[in-house]
Amino acid sequence: MANTAKTRSGFGAWLLDPKRRGALLVAPAITILFVMNIFPLMWSFGLSFFNYKASSLKVPTFKGFDNYGKVLTDERVWERFQTTAIIVSSSVIMQLIIGFLMAMMFAKVFPLRRIVLMLVLTPMMLSFVSVGVFFKLFYEPTFGIVSFVLNFFTEERFVLLGSPEGAILGIVIADAWMWSPFVMLLVLAGLVSVPKYLYEAAEIDRASKWRTFWTITFPYIKSLLLLAVLFRTIETFKLFDVVYIITDGGPGSTTETIAVYLYRTAFQFFKTSQSSALAYIVLFIVIVLTNLYLYAVNRREEEVE
Amino acid sequence: MVRKHREIGKAGWGYTATTSIIGFIYFFPVLWIILTAFKTRTDALATPPKLFFTPTLDNFTSVFYRASITTGSSQATDMGLYFFNSIFIAGTSVGLALIVGTLAAYAFSRFPLRGNDTYLFIILTTRMMPPIVVIIPIFLMFRLSGLAGTYWGIILLYTAFNIPFSIWLIKSFFDELNPEIEDAARMDGSTEGRVFFGFCIPQILAGLSATFVFGLILTWNEFLFALLLTGVETRTVPVAMARTLGGEVGVDYGLLAAIVTLFLIPIFFVTFLLQNQLLRGVTFGTVKK
Amino acid sequence: MKLRKVIKGIIAVSVLATGMSVAPVLAADITITMAAPDWPPTRFMKEHFDKSYTSPAGHTTTLDMDFIPWPSFYERVAASLTSGEQKYQMIVTDSQWLGAFVEGGYYMNLTDKIAADPELTAILQDLHPALVSAYSTYPHKTRAQLEEIGEVPAPGVAYYGFPQFPDTYVTFYRQDIFCHEGEMAAFQNKYGTNLPCSYEDWQDTDWTKWGQVGEFFRRAKGDLLAGVALDDDFYGIAYQAGKGYDFSTMQTNAFIWQQGGDIWDESKMPTAQAEGVVNSDVAVKAFDEYLSYLQYMPPVSQTGQMDIFVIQDLFMQGKVGAIIDWVGLGEPVLDPSASKVHDKSAFGPAPGSRKNDGSIDRTGNIGGQPFVLTTWNEDEVVDEALNVVKWWLNSETQLEAVSNGGQSGLMSVMADPSYNGLRPWNRAHVEMIDWQKDVWHIPEFFELLTQQQEEFDKAITGQISAKEALDAVAEFQQELLEEGDYIE
Repeated sequence: MANTAKTRSGFGAWLLDPKRRGALLVAPAITILFVMNIFPLMWSFGLSFFNYKASSLKVPTFKGFDNYGKVLTDERVWERFQTTAIIVSSSVIMQLIIGFLMAMMFAKVFPLRRIVLMLVLTPMMLSFVSVGVFFKLFYEPTFGIVSFVLNFFTEERFVLLGSPEGAILGIVIADAWMWSPFVMLLVLAGLVSVPKYLYEAAEIDRASKWRTFWTITFPYIKSLLLLAVLFRTIETFKLFDVVYIITDGGPGSTTETIAVYLYRTAFQFFKTSQSSALAYIVLFIVIVLTNLYLYAVNRREEEVE
Repeated sequence: MVRKHREIGKAGWGYTATTSIIGFIYFFPVLWIILTAFKTRTDALATPPKLFFTPTLDNFTSVFYRASITTGSSQATDMGLYFFNSIFIAGTSVGLALIVGTLAAYAFSRFPLRGNDTYLFIILTTRMMPPIVVIIPIFLMFRLSGLAGTYWGIILLYTAFNIPFSIWLIKSFFDELNPEIEDAARMDGSTEGRVFFGFCIPQILAGLSATFVFGLILTWNEFLFALLLTGVETRTVPVAMARTLGGEVGVDYGLLAAIVTLFLIPIFFVTFLLQNQLLRGVTFGTVKK
Repeated sequence: MKLRKVIKGIIAVSVLATGMSVAPVLAADITITMAAPDWPPTRFMKEHFDKSYTSPAGHTTTLDMDFIPWPSFYERVAASLTSGEQKYQMIVTDSQWLGAFVEGGYYMNLTDKIAADPELTAILQDLHPALVSAYSTYPHKTRAQLEEIGEVPAPGVAYYGFPQFPDTYVTFYRQDIFCHEGEMAAFQNKYGTNLPCSYEDWQDTDWTKWGQVGEFFRRAKGDLLAGVALDDDFYGIAYQAGKGYDFSTMQTNAFIWQQGGDIWDESKMPTAQAEGVVNSDVAVKAFDEYLSYLQYMPPVSQTGQMDIFVIQDLFMQGKVGAIIDWVGLGEPVLDPSASKVHDKSAFGPAPGSRKNDGSIDRTGNIGGQPFVLTTWNEDEVVDEALNVVKWWLNSETQLEAVSNGGQSGLMSVMADPSYNGLRPWNRAHVEMIDWQKDVWHIPEFFELLTQQQEEFDKAITGQISAKEALDAVAEFQQELLEEGDYIE
């Protein structure tokens, strides 16, 4: 008995050694992440080298990089990457513009600011599904409010989703509406961090508003803007429900994003291995973006310090 | 300790009026959804779209009750349970991620491991992964471990989902604190526990609440994992919401709007209470004094 | 491998069962978990089960329905099956998923069970052969092939499913405008033929007249319709033309089959071709005709989003005179709280193509869902699940189902004198069911469907011609099917 107790206290002491304090504190987080996230990731990474299909009883065989080759040479995949790039870039640009303008608006203190700010923040809290469903209804030519309003100016009913450009615009508007508040919060944080005395100095110098903005405000929000771009790019890359509901990838395949295609390959075509390979190509792109994102964060930190 | 925001300028009620109009336009789609919750199906699909109508509470009743096919009598829909599940699962997992994340963030900030940045990077990468990639392995794993359909399963998954974000955010708050004060406290004979709980935690409470709100927004509406990994008893609102999207008719706009409206209330309320912290939290703590 | 083992097991079990049928069965508590879409036909099944089912084997049986919302039903079931969760004993399934999930070893082959059980054999014989072909056989056998064999169950054919909700599409139309004297006279005047008002008129309606109806009832806001000034634009006709799931294929197949064209015919494997068949001149002409009527349909038709629910809503809100839609979506049309036309609607058979002898070919694509058993259950559970099948397909239950938002596939039930009066679309449903065929059942079903829907959608939104669309479909199918050894 005494022996056991001693061992335990010995182990306890070993564990609580200040040298291991860091590792000990990190352990729970890493354990949960490993079990719930990293392990499944490695599993599907392994699958990407076989020809496994979840709907088949055939024993999977090792295929090396075949799946990667197949995916990278598939025209349909490239087409979807292009679509994704178009949707992501236009949506992020739109979010930036709207988010930036709104941040300028809320950078002042005014009565009821907290309440007005809540009006603008709410879209972020809605589910993707409901945003998709209701924007589709807004765009509907017979029942929709967009067509109703535009009908005052046009003879014909306004049909937004009938052309590839219109369909992309429809998706981008819904996504940008939902997430511009996010960009706004980032920019707002930058704006409020500008020391007041700088503005006072500028005022004394009689600097023009434009000049004040470029020389004082912009440096403070520059990196945060970049942060917003990267974070939103990464998130928009995963855009699925809104596209799936509003256009289902149509007309034709002109709005089918890589996330939608990934879903079809994995869940409808049961090309489990091939979809894993595609997923890893996507992950690779995401990692590159993440690195850019980290670079931006670091730069921001250096700047402020 | 509590830092005041330095705003660019102050404005009066006239400014409030202008921003309110813009805010209201931006809010209009949400308002439309909320109004739809009080409409009958024919009002929801009226042409021209109706801004004024006779409101009905039927949709809200249908959230919790629906008519039996054979007898027409009303049956409870379990929606109450799903609301509880959503609040319980999201609350617990975001809370857990906060605790685990705080410990890890403290370590990453104060006792850097060898390869500290690499760990941090890998942790962040897991958050950036399209969820569809890991769904099949996770599903298999949940079945093997018996976690499928249990509260613990989905809570652990959502915790993992929130940890990277929590660590990154909280670490930046710890980074802002001055370690010299902590060292001074250690010199005075404070235990590690006292340094952590007595000195560090109280100073980053604002950051912790911001992390909580952000985690909540990201977890609250999660659909795919919830659909596949929850059972009849642990189902969450976003999954149950899907029943309004098609079946015997297409989208049941009124019912969907009613659920969305009710589901918005808790998160709106929490966000409102923690609004100032959220404003600070979203900067990833990169804005320093 | 596993599948073969399971089949062997089943054979062994059924031999044992027939040999020892006198052996006493011990009563047990059995729970049958069934994956079911959340809608009235399945909710009725659950409610009625709780009320009326008693186990003939003396078990205490619980039917535990896992109601899953329709839009996520497929994902939930596919994830459950492919992960090996083995949660469900019975599953409601779209007939087209048979191939993927049979090949995956998840759906149970019931052939021997049916052969060994006179009651099940009788049910199979009473089921409409179009349903047996579409819902039960895999590898797929057409109705013609089954009828050629003659025997039921047919030797050499594998059976899997039984109808949970058999569905066909019929015409929903506005009696108040189609039977309005002024409109009827004007139509007669303009086209020299009658505006279809009665059921019998619809029996004689072909696509040409369908187009005329569309043109005739295209009215702008402010025009008169049946003597009343319109407060919104009005359209004569609509049918499905949506990109989602199978929301254009189900209707285009009808056009193609009716005019003598064909899709890739899996029952003629491995000689059946895609190239040259799918894009034959006949098929192109048929698809062109399908596209030609879109101009008379509501503006949403230009978006490729005009699915089965959108046309139902347009009809219920009084924006369109006639639609072709599933019987399963009929109930809300009669509901005053959802539908403005609940007291003005009537139902007829869907239009078809007129043949040289003057008769109309209404061949259509079957809808609805069978339910199946899964492969991992103990014998006791399988036997009890089959008892549930017998309970469900007994004529009393089926008539109850029909009067409560369900449908029946039993010929004896459809011939019951009370049947036609139970729901207003029943007469049309019986007439249409005789014309039903089904799209593919092979595991690659979803790939074929998705690509085809995409090309059709391009044609519907005017990006490409009918020929270009069908050429692209044929080329893709030929390649995919050759790669999968479906075509020699």
